[in-house]
Amino acid sequence: MNMESFISSLQSLVGKQYVVLEKAALMLYEADGCVITPHMPDVVIIPETTEQIVAAVKLARAAGVPVIARGSGTGLSGGSTPINGGLVITTTRMTKILEVDTRNNRVRVQPGVINFELSQYLGAYGYYFAPDPSSQKACSIGGNIGMNSGGPHCVKYGVTASHIMGVQMVLEDGSVLWTGDGAPDSIGYDLTGITVGSAGSFGLVTEAWLRIMRLPESVRVVLALYPDIVSAAETVSAIIAGGLLPSALEMMDKLVIKAVNDAYKLGLPDSAYAALIIEVDGVDDGLDDLMAEVVALCRQKGALEVRPAKTPEEQTRVWAARKNAFGAMGRLARSYYLVDTVVPRTKLPFLLDQVVKISKKYDLPVANVFHAGDGNLHPLVLYDKTRGDEDHRAHMIAYEVMKLCVEQGGVISGEHGVGLEKKEYMPDLFTTDDLAAMAALHQSFNASGMFNPGKTFPTSQQPHDLVLHRRAAFGLPGGVPLRLSFAVDGEHEHTAGVAANSVIDKVVAAGGWV
Amino acid sequence: MTVDAGAQQITQYAIHGYAPVEVANPATAVELGAVVSNAVKNDCAVVPWGGGTHQALGKALILDGRDFVVICTRGLNRVLNYTPDDMTISVEAGMTWAELDEILKPNAQMLPMDVPLPERSTIGGAFAVGADGPRRLSWGTLRDMLIGISVVEASGRITKSGGMTVKNVSGYDLGKLYHGSLGTLAVVTSTNFKLVPRPRAEATARCEFSTLDDAFHLIDALHETQLVPAAVELVVERAARQWDASTQSAIEAAPARFQVAVRAEGLPGAVERHIRDVPTLAHAAHALESTVLSGDDHKSYWAYVNDLSRIADQPLDRLVLKLTCLPGQLQRLLAESIRIATLRQVLLSFNARAGNGVAYLRLRGGHDALIAFHRDLSQLHPRLTLMAAARGVRSQVPIWGNQLAGLEVMQRIKHEFDPHNVLNPGRFVV
Repeated sequence: MNMESFISSLQSLVGKQYVVLEKAALMLYEADGCVITPHMPDVVIIPETTEQIVAAVKLARAAGVPVIARGSGTGLSGGSTPINGGLVITTTRMTKILEVDTRNNRVRVQPGVINFELSQYLGAYGYYFAPDPSSQKACSIGGNIGMNSGGPHCVKYGVTASHIMGVQMVLEDGSVLWTGDGAPDSIGYDLTGITVGSAGSFGLVTEAWLRIMRLPESVRVVLALYPDIVSAAETVSAIIAGGLLPSALEMMDKLVIKAVNDAYKLGLPDSAYAALIIEVDGVDDGLDDLMAEVVALCRQKGALEVRPAKTPEEQTRVWAARKNAFGAMGRLARSYYLVDTVVPRTKLPFLLDQVVKISKKYDLPVANVFHAGDGNLHPLVLYDKTRGDEDHRAHMIAYEVMKLCVEQGGVISGEHGVGLEKKEYMPDLFTTDDLAAMAALHQSFNASGMFNPGKTFPTSQQPHDLVLHRRAAFGLPGGVPLRLSFAVDGEHEHTAGVAANSVIDKVVAAGGWV
Repeated sequence: MTVDAGAQQITQYAIHGYAPVEVANPATAVELGAVVSNAVKNDCAVVPWGGGTHQALGKALILDGRDFVVICTRGLNRVLNYTPDDMTISVEAGMTWAELDEILKPNAQMLPMDVPLPERSTIGGAFAVGADGPRRLSWGTLRDMLIGISVVEASGRITKSGGMTVKNVSGYDLGKLYHGSLGTLAVVTSTNFKLVPRPRAEATARCEFSTLDDAFHLIDALHETQLVPAAVELVVERAARQWDASTQSAIEAAPARFQVAVRAEGLPGAVERHIRDVPTLAHAAHALESTVLSGDDHKSYWAYVNDLSRIADQPLDRLVLKLTCLPGQLQRLLAESIRIATLRQVLLSFNARAGNGVAYLRLRGGHDALIAFHRDLSQLHPRLTLMAAARGVRSQVPIWGNQLAGLEVMQRIKHEFDPHNVLNPGRFVV
């Protein structure tokens, strides 16, 4: 099938107005929130039904065109960037909440439903969907599933993977599979669990059953302000180690406090170098005692000021400061690079101290706003990409922070995903054999490589090569690589098992990201 | 590493009547890898073995003329990484739950799993069978607590996924794949978990009802509240009594009691609130009585409940089934189970995670009656896993239920991970 007939088939499938072809319009789809490696798709469709997606997948397969799923485009690792071009299927018209079933703690939705709007909707029933990424006012459930999103409340309630009961997905052969419906312990391999976080590389999620939770009877929020970031970090450690089980534990540093102060007139004291937002929830009984304990701990660790937010209005305002922090960053710099890494929680004070040193070394400011209770750092490198080599220095800061986190027993991504941004760092964490096990899973769903190629795996260790490497260990003949027309250009000369560290050195030596 | 080949040790490790040719006891992951490599070289199948408390689970081995080797993981019982203030731990697969709890207790931490027979059951084994416990209502299962894993693959190579951080989206989550896969994709050598604080207070409100409907009046009422119980377990001994065909009447025994146990954990104030509110709700649901259990009574009661779903050492006339459904379907399915048990003249007891939709049904009766019960119930509800039964029964009923979505994908996964079908061949769904 040639491109022309492919496109006209798409047009008759979803209607001409829902097929994007104009260059200016296609540019909107060349990246998500991670703009370092944009690439234009060949065509975008905006379908309305699962059946249309099934037909589109079959057409794309026949035409040898890669298929990339896209939700709201708020991702931060390039997960939905069509790096080889191809067909982007965006779910912005699939926004139906199909079934609310409170007796079974579940809701069935289409993937384009906005995270925040779902919880607003469920509020009327006394329920909510727990994962709440900072982008929740814009991000879609499908995107949350693809990236296994986090958010402030994961510290108590777990990441998205613990809240997805089953997905309906379109597989590469065009068949449709429901992996679960909310009954516990699905029989056989946990297809739901492995699909969450696979960035649309196993299939296209077209509906999902989500676990919903009863809203807590009571919530207490406290904002604690500190003269330095280390005492705030020590408070975090003390709260976690003390077993206080907060429902959120977030930190902001001086730069962020200033930005949100300016933007939202919160009137926080300028002398504060760090702020903690601490939330506890549950039945009302005992919660005041717990809050008193939290307040005492903050003071003991040197807090300048501890402000309890009692009413829902006050609490919303405190949370607004945190959730809109990234938006307020525009007041401080033209561009920012948001780094997402995680370390074991006791390493936080050390890491924060090192981030300051790295920031000085490269002479660029770094703001910190992050999920402290999880050890999930989010240094924001502030720079101006039009000025000198600031772009390069910003990337060097990100690279050094990530390297340090790995050295300290951490990993390269806590909640934003690997996508394009971090795929070259995967060998820092994983051996070729480890990656080959992931490739075996990739192979089981996406043998043609048509779904979201060029993600997660480092350029030098692509899934099909890894699968052959793995099959050789079983004494199986490798044969001809199965890779068809979906391959990333220029990768054929690479073979699996290239010395891991050299990849990163090459990237950095080349002056930035691949 | 020691290798047992004596007749006595070997029969102890028989599976559904087949005895292994060898029992290996590796002391490290590397040794375990070597055992798997050797087994593959000698064209042997491999059966991983933890505490042996769930070896009754699954279909019969399909050996196709091969011998098989049992790999006992009990030698892998070290803590690999534990910094208490990180609230994470990495432990080897052969450690028992009781051993782990002793390590966590001094730091007021826990991994809230509630497996049966914690003195014998290993962490790797519970992970591989996807075990659950009453407190899954508040903490989920090991699926939700796992943050990293190391395995020996079917090629003998050691690989890992995840790490030691409580959040991690670096690459595919293979831990979810291995969880509940019955050792058919790889042999787990170590697992990393997030931990939670031990509760400051805990107690139980145990409410007794004379009918299943009344018990569910409480369960449904609880669901409507904003209470956050750690567990809501429905425990019923002798739900259906033996039917005497000659007199056409039930053989007299103590009348069935339907017990709903609500476990509360956390802040003292919160626990008191649950203990106060639950009996009030129970009273409105016509409870016969409500008892508050605390201290040792609370502990020993839950040890008893946790052990109810055990399948090790079951008598031969016993059938144990795990039924999974939506929580809102549970009442109807349990009522049907009681009806069918009465009709088929089998003795029925069960316990159910009422907030989750999981029930363990225990039946005693004649061979034909047990098969008839299974047939009748699985016609109403296909999601029935056979946990334990005599060989004659297990050969005549579907072990993994009648409903399986995604079988083709699962077959491809099994083929990629274990192309020579070495690991627990035949026992799982593929």
